[in-house]
Amino acid sequence: MLRALFVVSRLELRARFMDGTAVLTALLAPIVLASLFGFALGGDDPPLRATVGFVDLDGGEFPSSVRREVLSAKELDGMLTLRDFATEKDAQQTLDDGDIGAAIVFPSGFSQDVGAGRGGKVTVLTSPETPLAGVVASSIVDRISALVDARTLAVKASLDAGVPADKVKEFVERNGASGPALTLESDPMAGGKVDLSVYYGSGMAALFAFFVVGTSVRSLLTERNLGTLNRMRAAPIRPWIPIVGKGVVGFLLALVSVCAVWASSVLLFGSTWGDPLAVFALWTAHVLAAAAITMLVASRAKTDSQADGLIMGVSFVFAFLGGSLVPMYNLPDLLQKVALLTPNGWTSTGLTELAGGGGGLATVAGPIAALCGMALVAGGIAALGFRKGLLG
Amino acid sequence: MTATLSCTGLSKRYGDILAVQDVGFFIEKGEAYGLLGPNGAGKTTAISMLVGLLQPDTGSVQVCGHDLAADPLAAKAKIGYVPQEIALYPDLTGRENLRFFGRLYGLPRRELAKRIDEVLDFVGLSDRADGKIDTYSGGMKRRINIGAALLHRPEVLILDEPTVGVDPQSRKAILDGVEQLVADGMSLLYTSHYMEEVERVCKRVGIIDHGKVIAEGTRKELVSTLGSADRVELVLDGDLDVATDKLRAVEGVTEAVRAGTSSIRLIVNEGSHLLPTLIAAVRGIAVVTAVEVIEPDLEAAFLHLTGNKLRD
Repeated sequence: MLRALFVVSRLELRARFMDGTAVLTALLAPIVLASLFGFALGGDDPPLRATVGFVDLDGGEFPSSVRREVLSAKELDGMLTLRDFATEKDAQQTLDDGDIGAAIVFPSGFSQDVGAGRGGKVTVLTSPETPLAGVVASSIVDRISALVDARTLAVKASLDAGVPADKVKEFVERNGASGPALTLESDPMAGGKVDLSVYYGSGMAALFAFFVVGTSVRSLLTERNLGTLNRMRAAPIRPWIPIVGKGVVGFLLALVSVCAVWASSVLLFGSTWGDPLAVFALWTAHVLAAAAITMLVASRAKTDSQADGLIMGVSFVFAFLGGSLVPMYNLPDLLQKVALLTPNGWTSTGLTELAGGGGGLATVAGPIAALCGMALVAGGIAALGFRKGLLG
Repeated sequence: MTATLSCTGLSKRYGDILAVQDVGFFIEKGEAYGLLGPNGAGKTTAISMLVGLLQPDTGSVQVCGHDLAADPLAAKAKIGYVPQEIALYPDLTGRENLRFFGRLYGLPRRELAKRIDEVLDFVGLSDRADGKIDTYSGGMKRRINIGAALLHRPEVLILDEPTVGVDPQSRKAILDGVEQLVADGMSLLYTSHYMEEVERVCKRVGIIDHGKVIAEGTRKELVSTLGSADRVELVLDGDLDVATDKLRAVEGVTEAVRAGTSSIRLIVNEGSHLLPTLIAAVRGIAVVTAVEVIEPDLEAAFLHLTGNKLRD
């Protein structure tokens, strides 16, 4: 069966090169458009207005110092507002309601644990709807983590050197690892800039992924018109081979397309998209969702022209709503919520978190799961549609 | 003799329409079987079920002992399917098309190359093998369309209207080739709008109408259903529609249909005796300019059984 799959895929790949799709739609068009947008609009950080929740269950010197430093930091003046909460649950509820963008939680006994050299853990609550606030909160906590690590190390070293436990705090602070004092870096987004060239590059890549994979899926309908699909189906091969054989080619070409746009953005603009493995995983999930959704469209279309129109329409609507054409933070609140019904919205959210926060696979686990979920649902409905229609 | 292809109780319903109803027949090894029916009779639906493109609602298909539903890959490997349309890739050459479809049948590379040459030779297109399909004439496309179904040397070849839209020379070449295949022992299921092709190629014929096989047998057996009936063709000048109605009302006329712009074709009992009555019946409506009494043939039997001309 794999041989038949390979035979169908090879013909499809050849067809995509012969009709120019593989070069024009998958490579040239998205790279050129993303580059034009990048040159015209790239370079500026998106405007930031964030309210971050602050939960101090510790009541010690560390949280107080962090609050003092954040509020006095000139770099965050007018951009960041702290809002106090009594419990983590309250903060989470408010975050879920969309009234704050993120929250920092200091657990009970945090300052005491750090002072005793036991280290400590600060929790950051984030929401995919407000990735930039999450980036700022994570950046602050990263800075705290560095201080906690330094302080813990210093206390342990002092104890090992024979300094009495009741004298350690004074000894450590006198010798430089003093404070819980926090100095914020000038750039609150420690993981890298969320440059508009990343927005537009990823937007074009997300949009064209639909076109590229859509071309292969659409060709199923062209083959039905030609009669070659039935001829294939009359051969001793599994019924799913023509669909999967073409889908695989569309999927791989779309993956090459998004990676080429990513590479061109990095090479031309020096953009930072984040951890390569996480970015690749996110794009793979996006292309998978795009393939399943275009399959669903093709399974409902009666002609290849109708499929063309539907795929084009769905691609542009998803691109607009999902932040591929207009950055999501520029969209009204309602549309920002609607964006999460589209694969583009999840991909854009994930890429913003990666580009801004510098996280890894865990950071985009949510968006990847959402994209895979969409792929599963759309693919399942498409399979049923194909059984009744194209393969009925 | 064992049946190469057999089907029993095949039915397919689309909503309220019963497209195929309890169709069953068999084709022995080396036998050519014709399936005749007017447009919309259910031929294509039946063929689609025979080659595994459509799931029947009821019934079964056996190909060389393999049940098509239970063991579709083994059954399909024995079938060569020539669809009605030119099911080829126009941007590929004839050879590339054959290579693609041959690979789907799992033929090894070297064996496939040999078979492609054989098939190209058989369909008389060796010299045009490396030209793109969209540069071929209609007849050449038809021939390569058949060739693509022969690569794996099927036990049974199913041809759905294989000569539609081809010139007489290509039609002759196709029919010669098909007869050669049958002579070599291949079983054949043949549908065509051209009665003379079916009469020439097929030993037995099934007539399908309104989704049912209403008659089956050799040409002689089917023609015998006409009894003492003759086929009469009148060439007239006048109002042919009114003349047809008048002729249909004449006692002894079992069928009367328009044939072209100036003829009416009739099935009549003892045609030569009835001629004066027929001419009198249309007097004042049309002038009879020529008369032909034709010995009963398959077309007359078809007309008698279905009430339709085959090309209606």
